[in-house]
Amino acid sequence: MTQSPMDETAPEQAQPRTAPPDRTGDTGWRRLPPAARLLFLLDTGIGLAIAGLVLGGLAGLLASWRLDLPSPLPPVLQGAATGLLVLGLWGCWLAVRQYQRTAWRLDDKGLSVRRGRLWWSETRVPASRVQHLDIQRGPLQRRRGVSSLVVHTAGSAASAVTVPHMDAADAEHLRERLSRRIEDDDDA
Amino acid sequence: MTTPDPAAPATVVAGHRLHPMSWLFELIAQLRQFLVPLLALVVFGQGDRSELWPLAGVAVLVAASLWRYFAFRYQPEADQLVLRTGLLSRNVRVVPYGRIHNVAVDQTLLHRLFDVASVRLESAGGKKPEAEMRVLRLDQALALEDLIRHRGATAPGSGAGEPSVGDPTAGCDHPESMATSGTVLHHLPAGELLRLGIISNRGMVLVAAAFALVGQSGENAARIFEALGRWLFGWVDTSAFDTAQWVVAGTTLLLAALLGVRLLSVLLAVLQFHGFTLAEYGRRLTVERGLLARWRTSTPRRRIQAWRMQEGVIHRLLDRRTLKVDIATGGGQEDARSLRELVPVGTPEQCRALVAHLLPGSGWDRLEWMPFRPATWWRLFWPSLPLVAVATAVLCWRFGAPGLLAALWLPWAAFKARRQAARMGWAFNGRVAAFRTGWWSRHWYWAELDKLQALRVSRNPVDRRLGTATLVLDTAGAGALGPPLRIPFLPLRRALALQHRLAGELARRPLRW
Repeated sequence: MTQSPMDETAPEQAQPRTAPPDRTGDTGWRRLPPAARLLFLLDTGIGLAIAGLVLGGLAGLLASWRLDLPSPLPPVLQGAATGLLVLGLWGCWLAVRQYQRTAWRLDDKGLSVRRGRLWWSETRVPASRVQHLDIQRGPLQRRRGVSSLVVHTAGSAASAVTVPHMDAADAEHLRERLSRRIEDDDDA
Repeated sequence: MTTPDPAAPATVVAGHRLHPMSWLFELIAQLRQFLVPLLALVVFGQGDRSELWPLAGVAVLVAASLWRYFAFRYQPEADQLVLRTGLLSRNVRVVPYGRIHNVAVDQTLLHRLFDVASVRLESAGGKKPEAEMRVLRLDQALALEDLIRHRGATAPGSGAGEPSVGDPTAGCDHPESMATSGTVLHHLPAGELLRLGIISNRGMVLVAAAFALVGQSGENAARIFEALGRWLFGWVDTSAFDTAQWVVAGTTLLLAALLGVRLLSVLLAVLQFHGFTLAEYGRRLTVERGLLARWRTSTPRRRIQAWRMQEGVIHRLLDRRTLKVDIATGGGQEDARSLRELVPVGTPEQCRALVAHLLPGSGWDRLEWMPFRPATWWRLFWPSLPLVAVATAVLCWRFGAPGLLAALWLPWAAFKARRQAARMGWAFNGRVAAFRTGWWSRHWYWAELDKLQALRVSRNPVDRRLGTATLVLDTAGAGALGPPLRIPFLPLRRALALQHRLAGELARRPLRW
């Protein structure tokens, strides 16, 4: 994945990395950089498109059996194409929404992450409860200057809180800030 | 939690060995893992003189067990336990006493025959125990447990942010007075075991498993059930029964079955919980139980992550409650041997006193429960609507008009939802966060503020319409069903305010395991 064709089509490459302020009115919320949009599209859009391909193909196969068609190939191809198109488009729309709805904030209490709209959630990890931090950077993420920050706690349901595809410099900064808090606590 | 010790000299082989018979128990543990392949060899290897293959496999396992026995050494030191394994590639593992969350000493019937026990040391997290010693002589096992119990409480710098001031009795009592120095906090006499069996209904699980097993065997199942039917009805002529007689016979049979299952439950309760004793040694809690196989597990009091108390219908009839806790140890929830039930059954007063003793100053019995809006009952009720609709449709299709009787569940469900909505409540008094729910079967959940981890407010589409949200207070060591402190139906502003306040409190306190 050295020269992805996706990169040429990305117009956001030249834009500044600083994210626009969040429009929810709360202070301090940071949105993801525009470079992350493509990665959301890849994550959600492609996943759903493949699911649509398989489901549509299966539906076509089922239809050809039920209707006793001479050859199963045309309905399978038609079904797969329809599934790919419908679920792929829906996935792209969903990915853009997810991208728009993801925001994070670091304050004196710790890290907060907001995600989703229909299934909205806001997770707070107090700085004193952070066990360790991971920064994940795939090849495509490296090219676009973003990385995913995973904050691990000792809990059970929210044992790993992820900020997906955030600006790489911000992720490093967050890691610095949060891990410094861990050291302070250990010294106490 | 463990750190490799580079300074450990590889040539000096010091320390204690396991019990000489430990190869046998190692072998049994291995056999349990290899049971399926061995059985497959026996079953499918028939016919071509390969009956010896399983024996060869067992011989290899025996050799491996002996190898492990000769390679294993353990050495208790001032503030850590050093374990050496391996003859060719040597492995040194150092476990600081302060990091050990749970010490479990188990004895099966076979262990008791040889007067030995297996010891497991567990720290927080991870799926496998930190160290497992299979097996030690019983007095050695108890001495090791005692050592960890005392050193773990006094080890300097053990655990992140361990409070240095604490129970003055910790570490003061001597090993030989172990049996007497502890305070017994709860004990189950025979009468309580009987109640536990009736309440727990463990027999039902066993019966269900037996049915599943019989069902697996296909055609045999039909034959078994037929034989059972002949045995039951062999002495009466069922062909002459009229409807009333059928009803009487059916009811009698059902009652007899229920009684049988309860008797089985009591038997299981006696087997598992005979001699249940919860005792306190300094800062550690120890639970001992079992009739044939003995379990003994010991954990520091402050390792308790979350609490849950339960009062079902039968509990209420017998005036009893069950008190359980979560402990963060590797795979602890799936393992029946870890400390989970502080009070399998006890009177409400006993439970209250125990909580007051173990959580002093938490104000647990004086919590101000915040009610939910009365309209919440609808949220509890509506999920039963589609269920009842489907059930009624299926029954009507099968039996005709009498199937409509299933709809009678709805008024009951509505009544139950109303009562539950009136009883539900949450509380936060600065030291513990709590949630109570249920009316027919009642539950209380609470956790100390220090033990909360992440805080999450989430909303589903229904919440969005009604302006409510669910607040999840995550704790460590919760089982597969998720964290116990999941407060639903809170008004959004209230949920966010509570989350904000808790986050502020948590940020100021270091994590205390």
